[in-house]
Amino acid sequence: MSPELRRRETVAGYLFLLPSLIFFVGFVVIPMVMCVVTSFFDATMDLNTPDKFIWFDNYIELWQDPVFLKGLTNTLIIVLVSVPFTCIFSLWVASAIYKMREGLLSFFRIVFYLPVVTGSVAVTVVWKWMYNNYYGIFNYVLKNTGIISKNINWLGNPQYALWCIILILLTTSVGQPIVLYVSALSNVDSSLVEAAEVDGATNTQVFWRIKWPQIMPTTLYILIITTINSFQCFALIQLLTSGGPNYATETVMYYIYYTAFKLYRFGYGNAMGVILAIFIGILSAVQFRLAREK
Amino acid sequence: MKKLLSIALALLMVLGLAAIAKPASADAEEITLWTYPIGNWGNEEAVKALTDAFTAETGIKVKVEYLTYTDGDDKVNTALTAKKAPDLIMEGPERLVSNWGAQGYMVNIADLFDDQDKAEINPAALAACFADDATAYEYPLCMTAHCMAINMTAVKEAGAEEFVNTDTHLWTTEQFFNTVKALAAKYGLVGGIYCSGQGGDQGTRALVNNLYGGTFTNAEHTAYTWDDPKNIQALKALYDLEGLDYDPSINGGEEIANFYNGIFKMAFCWNIGQQLNPNSAGTGAGKTANGEDIAFMAFPSEDGNAVLQGGIWGFGIFNNGDDARIEAAKKFILYMADSEHTVDAVRASNYFAARSAVAGNELDIWAGNEIMAEYNKLMPFLGDYYQVTKGWAPARTAWWNMLQQVGASDGSEAAIAAAVADYCAQANEGAK
Amino acid sequence: MSKDNGSSVTYKIFSFVVLIILAFLFIFPLYWIITGMFKPPAVINSPTPQWWPHEWTMRNITELFSRRTAPLFSEIALRVPGALRWLINTVFMAIMAMILTCITAAMAGYALAKKRFIGRTFLFSLIVAAMALPKQVILVPLVREISALGLYDNIWAVILPTVGWPFGVFLMKQFSEGIPGEMLEAARIDGASELKTFTSVVIPMIKPGIGALAIFTFINSWNDYFLQLIMLTSNSNLTISLGIATMQAENSTDFGLIMAGAALAAVPIIIVFLLFQKYFTKGITMGAVKG
Repeated sequence: MSPELRRRETVAGYLFLLPSLIFFVGFVVIPMVMCVVTSFFDATMDLNTPDKFIWFDNYIELWQDPVFLKGLTNTLIIVLVSVPFTCIFSLWVASAIYKMREGLLSFFRIVFYLPVVTGSVAVTVVWKWMYNNYYGIFNYVLKNTGIISKNINWLGNPQYALWCIILILLTTSVGQPIVLYVSALSNVDSSLVEAAEVDGATNTQVFWRIKWPQIMPTTLYILIITTINSFQCFALIQLLTSGGPNYATETVMYYIYYTAFKLYRFGYGNAMGVILAIFIGILSAVQFRLAREK
Repeated sequence: MKKLLSIALALLMVLGLAAIAKPASADAEEITLWTYPIGNWGNEEAVKALTDAFTAETGIKVKVEYLTYTDGDDKVNTALTAKKAPDLIMEGPERLVSNWGAQGYMVNIADLFDDQDKAEINPAALAACFADDATAYEYPLCMTAHCMAINMTAVKEAGAEEFVNTDTHLWTTEQFFNTVKALAAKYGLVGGIYCSGQGGDQGTRALVNNLYGGTFTNAEHTAYTWDDPKNIQALKALYDLEGLDYDPSINGGEEIANFYNGIFKMAFCWNIGQQLNPNSAGTGAGKTANGEDIAFMAFPSEDGNAVLQGGIWGFGIFNNGDDARIEAAKKFILYMADSEHTVDAVRASNYFAARSAVAGNELDIWAGNEIMAEYNKLMPFLGDYYQVTKGWAPARTAWWNMLQQVGASDGSEAAIAAAVADYCAQANEGAK
Repeated sequence: MSKDNGSSVTYKIFSFVVLIILAFLFIFPLYWIITGMFKPPAVINSPTPQWWPHEWTMRNITELFSRRTAPLFSEIALRVPGALRWLINTVFMAIMAMILTCITAAMAGYALAKKRFIGRTFLFSLIVAAMALPKQVILVPLVREISALGLYDNIWAVILPTVGWPFGVFLMKQFSEGIPGEMLEAARIDGASELKTFTSVVIPMIKPGIGALAIFTFINSWNDYFLQLIMLTSNSNLTISLGIATMQAENSTDFGLIMAGAALAAVPIIIVFLLFQKYFTKGITMGAVKG
């Protein structure tokens, strides 16, 4: 590449990036920098006490805060459960429907996409009623079919609450992966599949040897978007449990909000944000390293 | 078609930018008021009538936003963080004085109280509105005592009528337990100790404190004392009581909903406002959705003399650094809470006036109203207004979490005591 | 369990039955919103659910539109029901976010995929790292910044940070990777300017991707909740999601009303989705496979 061309490429590249960068730097990078800076201060909502520079005290306190640790654990559980489950579930649904007639196929595709489109607030409103201890539909159905004898307080019981949240999260995240898998599976080279079948390969063998490698890029992409999605459960938690009962559904995302507006500790909340950002950064790096290697 | 679309989009864009560029009012022609649902102060029509009258007299417009107890605090806190708080806020001293006032966001309005006001305003309400002798963050408008409610029709059917005195509205801990037992035997489910958070903590606090005479704070309002063994005893007794469960899945509002719908036979988040409230099924005030009778009762205590939690509501001014708007807001406060219009402002709240008279003229707002007269029987039992203790907002949060932990525990005295000690210490951390 | 369903008929039937049950579960919330909207209050709160309304009422819808009023647009005097204004705000927000995101992301995605310049890898890594970042992380700084820009409690306070979220850039980069280098080279030899190359060569190539991103952004910003929650306060500036959440806080007793609100939030967006889902499916699968 000639120096002239290189210069032109650079200028053009940055000019094309500029509009996007203005928004990205303005509303993501700058706040993030401010977040890092305030995380070293004892910043509160109180106007009477000046914000003190306290080095790493907020960070040290975090690791002794049982609520934060609980929140971190729950966040991890949500990610570690919902990401693989979403992938497996949507792969199963996709492989069950991708050979169907066009009408039926798009029916199922739409149905599984509906909760995504309906939106978290509208969905939450109904689920809140379904989980209700006193007149919810789960208790009604389970009691009438004799599976349980006494109402279960789904969202009020620390044992169940997190799983109830994860279940809603799952219904709102499988839509896109199913669409993607259907298309990936129908793009699998059918001559290879036929050749293998002629050679007497079993279905399982065909799947792992031929289909799986071909849908691998899709799987990696799905891993990435599902991970993003599993961090977006704020609305569910805020509207259903507020992190309770007894911190059973506390996540780092909700605890940041809670620390800021219920405990009024901005600096401490920001320190939490920094830790979460680092955590997510590492996770993304690992996923992209995986994606690149393939 | 494409051209049309692009013109439409361009138009949309311009309109949108116009929305940004709306000029901020420089003079005090318009002030904003955010109000919590305090009786009909949460009702647009009622509030509009009051503010329109104010605008007609003073020329100052009032823009009103209606908050809820579920998300109102968060909204105010976000607005404060963004330095875009309203001029006026209507709530009680626990928020205005001990939270936003103590954090330096409110204007000292002590100058609005002259000697006559100080004589006319209920002393408890007056004291609660002052942070110290020379600093007031709230001007009180109305007040009431919080109580509990029972489904009287259900009580009669369960044969528990003998334990309930609907004349004095008072009962002992033993009578209360007997009533719950009778109701549980008949219906299974009696009620729920709601603890998902947000509003309505006055109900659970008063229930727990009254049962065996525990306290919530010390008399000086400098420390939280709910690790009192008497409270632990009460929490344990409630845990062991059949028919009443700690329920972290509902808040005070949802408890009331369950009570109205007949699922609960008892509600702890109650006051005259609810008693007068015609429910959404339209069966009338003082009735459940299927027309059963609701009776209000004081919280039970060992000797039958309850110490009730008061609610005091009034106005405060956020300091937005604009003197003209602060002056306008002060005018508004005096118009509503210290003038001949106070009668209307109080009546809209469905509560009692926080003062006996205005400028020497006696206030008789509820003359001839039987329910209010009946409810007035509870007012002498109003206890100490301790919600002004420092660190109140985090303490309330700790209280909810404590109830949740008690509910999730095995119910042993040790487990309950541990939860109480833990969270009470956390609350005291904020009281320093 | 075999992942393939080629031979076994029993498995095929079994999986079809499971699919039907799952489909029912996925449709149910929406079904319940729509039917609940027409049920009288006593029925909807009853511990025994009524699967199909015996008696249809318009009461909930009337109630929804007879609540708090707001000016129709900006500060003009004509007052309309709050819910209508919420809908207008939401449509405006979603369209603006969609347009701005598509334009900026298409340009940036192309640059990252096809231009060679210093800092490219660094910028792309930054974007990838930020993609999964939940907005809660920058809660307080963002509120302060928006307020300093004078945008607090304004619908643009939600639109601008949505545009800043880098997922669109990532998606468009994936698409732009597929543009053959020879085509760009040819355009350059013909003497086309960079902008001309972009509009006449790049845009037509990545059109399906832009379409997918448009629908994706529209749905996402319509349904976003957190940014709206922290940025908007006045009744006349609320969006429909936020309005419903507030309504639920205020009237937890009135479930029919809440269902009517949820329907108002969900039905328009579902119609949009159904109308455009073909393009969406096409666009979104094209981008991913190239990943």
